[in-house]
Amino acid sequence: MSKNTAPWDEQRNTIHSTKGGWVVGKGVFNHGYSMMDDLVGKTSYIQVMVLNATGRLPQRKLADWLEAIHICLSWPDPRIWCNTIGALGGTARTSPVAATAAGILANDSKMYGAGTGIDSLNFIQWALSEKQRGLSTGEIIKNECAKHRGKPNIMGFARPIAKGDERVVAMQRVQKELGFPIGQHQALANEIDAILQRNFSESINIGGYISAFLADQHYTANEVCRIFSILVSSGVTACYTDTIKKPAGTFLPIKCSDIDYQGKPPRELP
Amino acid sequence: MTKKIPLPVTSRNESFTERTVTKIWQERPSQENPYIAESARCHGYDLHELMEKRSFIDVLYLLFRSELPSIEESKILEQLMIGLINPGPRHPATRAAMNAGVGKTDPLHILPIALTIYGGNANAAGSIEATMRFFRKHRNSDPTQLANELASNRPMDIEGDWQVAPGFGSSYGGIDIMASKLAAQLSTLDGCGPSLTWGMKFAENLSQYQLGWYHSGVAAAVLSDLGFQPRVCGGLFQMFASPGLFAHGVELANKPRTAMPYVKDENYLIEYENE
Repeated sequence: MSKNTAPWDEQRNTIHSTKGGWVVGKGVFNHGYSMMDDLVGKTSYIQVMVLNATGRLPQRKLADWLEAIHICLSWPDPRIWCNTIGALGGTARTSPVAATAAGILANDSKMYGAGTGIDSLNFIQWALSEKQRGLSTGEIIKNECAKHRGKPNIMGFARPIAKGDERVVAMQRVQKELGFPIGQHQALANEIDAILQRNFSESINIGGYISAFLADQHYTANEVCRIFSILVSSGVTACYTDTIKKPAGTFLPIKCSDIDYQGKPPRELP
Repeated sequence: MTKKIPLPVTSRNESFTERTVTKIWQERPSQENPYIAESARCHGYDLHELMEKRSFIDVLYLLFRSELPSIEESKILEQLMIGLINPGPRHPATRAAMNAGVGKTDPLHILPIALTIYGGNANAAGSIEATMRFFRKHRNSDPTQLANELASNRPMDIEGDWQVAPGFGSSYGGIDIMASKLAAQLSTLDGCGPSLTWGMKFAENLSQYQLGWYHSGVAAAVLSDLGFQPRVCGGLFQMFASPGLFAHGVELANKPRTAMPYVKDENYLIEYENE
């Protein structure tokens, strides 16, 4: 008996693009815009990046906010995990594309970077719905802490290595200068921040700030994840650039004895 | 209202280890140069002795399980690895490799590119961990009852294939015959364990719904039975497919860009949707 393979047959040798494309001789089109006529020289790169990631062309001021965020989240410090990979790429003499791509891939992480965006945004949206359902901010925090044996392990709050987050302060300044008001998600995030500071000496981190702000701008978690796909790239490239200029293999070289072997003692094969 | 003072940024002073710890590999330095190793042991066995006396499969197993496999374990792992050595030229990961090859991408990047795509969740490495957890959870339950329960809850709005459970579902609207054959062949071996045995019964009951094994399901079952940890096995699944992925990519590396189809303009349809 022949199976119904229509869903695949209809797609064979054919691309149905909802995004746009290059029509040779006519132009390059992107969500209805002619890229060369409507976008080049008239919009910023970040605006087009968001258009590609979401299908919506944001206002210039939102793109400016996003550009500032990208600066906040990509530093030339090779101790940051994704940046270490960039530096190792340099010391191993990879190409800059390979090192940067490897570093970007590393930030698909549950601990830091773009990978945390979905959980963080989902949390603040869920928290706001709980608040609108009648729970107090304190109760929301208490319930969340109960899931983690009383610890304030809440996505978007606290951060590795240090307490406090200078990036949030900088971005709050940028937000004010750009004229963005505090929305519902941000107001709740600020309340959570205040309680965590008071009770746990922890605070909102940059991921929590981003999530609350972009939730107020009506972006979904998946959209935010797509927008931030290459978030860490420039810091990774910087660290690659540092080590590619130095002799190969000299970035944090390791002696045999620097590795702490704790496995089985020497043994004979059976 | 008083202006809120941000929490000052202070180090957590986390206690990081001074030396990276491993239980896998021991290198002894040479007398003259502490950066040069003069011997290496894998879980206690000398590397050169392993080279001489054991197979690649045995040493691969040793790396992840810290002990050498039995003959039965080694045999089923080897047959699984051969069965999974090439996802074939139609798999998205292989096509990514071929695309990189024909696009004159640095050949050194062909494998990382292909493996990244092979990390997806659709019948690929990204689904292995969840599939192994599915076996852990259900392999003591009645496979007939579970198959009927899950298959009868097919959502109405499915476009394309339906994954009824991690590692099982439809493939192009039918049963993946090669995956079923792989499972059947492996299930005849002495190394076949409870997950693969249970999976065979589960798949048999799913077949009436035109659902069956995925390759990822077979791999997850065998690797579960061999005692590998779920978190390890997505990467192993990627590794098993590496030879085929790379072979297809590099096959096209010396060919002109016209050696692969390029969708014609008349078959490129722009259909905007309201997002």
